[in-house]
Amino acid sequence: MKILIVDDFSTMRRIIKNLLRDLGYNNTAEADDGNSALPMLQAGNFEFLVTDWNMPGMQGIDLLKAVRADPKLAKLPVLMVTAESKRDQIIAAAQAGVNGYIVKPFNAVTLKEKIDKIFERVQS
Amino acid sequence: MVVDESDNDERQHWISRAKELAIYIEAGNEEQVNRLLDELSRRRETNLFQELGKLTREFHEALNSFRLDARIADLTQDHIPDAKQRLGYVISMTEQAANRTLNAVEGSIPLCEELSSRAHSLREQWSRFLQRALTPAEFRTLSRSLDQYLSRAEDDTVRIRDSLSEVLMAQDYQDLTGQILQRVVSLVNEMEEHLVRLIRVSGQRFTDVPIPKGSSYGTVEETDGPVVHGPHVPGTAPEEEVVHGQDDVDALLSSLGF
Repeated sequence: MKILIVDDFSTMRRIIKNLLRDLGYNNTAEADDGNSALPMLQAGNFEFLVTDWNMPGMQGIDLLKAVRADPKLAKLPVLMVTAESKRDQIIAAAQAGVNGYIVKPFNAVTLKEKIDKIFERVQS
Repeated sequence: MVVDESDNDERQHWISRAKELAIYIEAGNEEQVNRLLDELSRRRETNLFQELGKLTREFHEALNSFRLDARIADLTQDHIPDAKQRLGYVISMTEQAANRTLNAVEGSIPLCEELSSRAHSLREQWSRFLQRALTPAEFRTLSRSLDQYLSRAEDDTVRIRDSLSEVLMAQDYQDLTGQILQRVVSLVNEMEEHLVRLIRVSGQRFTDVPIPKGSSYGTVEETDGPVVHGPHVPGTAPEEEVVHGQDDVDALLSSLGF
């Protein structure tokens, strides 16, 4: 399964990449904001998107909206991994069609749980 | 020194009046002397009032420009203490991450040393076995030791693996503190901009001071699109507005039918 990791901090991208590898997902690519992620998503056969919210350029919430608005990408499962912890933001992300929301700092168990849950729901 | 034309006229006026006054005094014309003295002191008072008026106007303008730059008061009253709190939080987060990393490393080093020294002694025994130098009793001991070693190696490598994951996860501080620091940098940029503006209006000499460009990350107050807050710093926002940990997020989402 091909996964795109979007975060402006390369350290966080490396952490997520390592955690995904531990979970058996070896095929990952990285982007540092929505503007660079969107063309990658449109061009490649990604099956899963992990994105941060607060990034310079295009933010994660706008990337999510752009994904949902694109007929080819609309069904792509999106997991948001972000430090944004205001209740109204989480509600806004849910309304924009996010499949999972993890607040930083997080741990490997949480990441696995959310990914498993998303695929359970996608498959059913 | 360049003398202003009006200053020159003024001086000429005073000189001619002084000469006139000397003539009247010498002539003993008391009436004219008094008239001239009155005129001169009136003139002096007028100049004084003009200067005073000018000062008052400048003072008024300075006060107005202070009021225009009320953002400075706002920055110093709210945002600087807020920034100090954020920086304090960065210190405690980096400290936590460093301790988390050091704990994991300190826990792993003895495990590695133990595995290494046991492997070393087993290797010696194993060499003797290959040279057929072991008695049957020694071989039984070696075989028990090997068994113990393998199961220990299995457990300890899992523990070391966990510690390495802990070190990996501890590096998330770079993202979280980085986001907080970016906000503080934006604040410092904004503060600088306002101070330069203040210097401009309060002193003509500083008109060449360039206005610094703001951070590319957007200022504290103005952002495009949805407002982002960055990592929650305790004490900087009402606690009921933010979730505390993943359990809160899950509860909120499930209340929304997720």
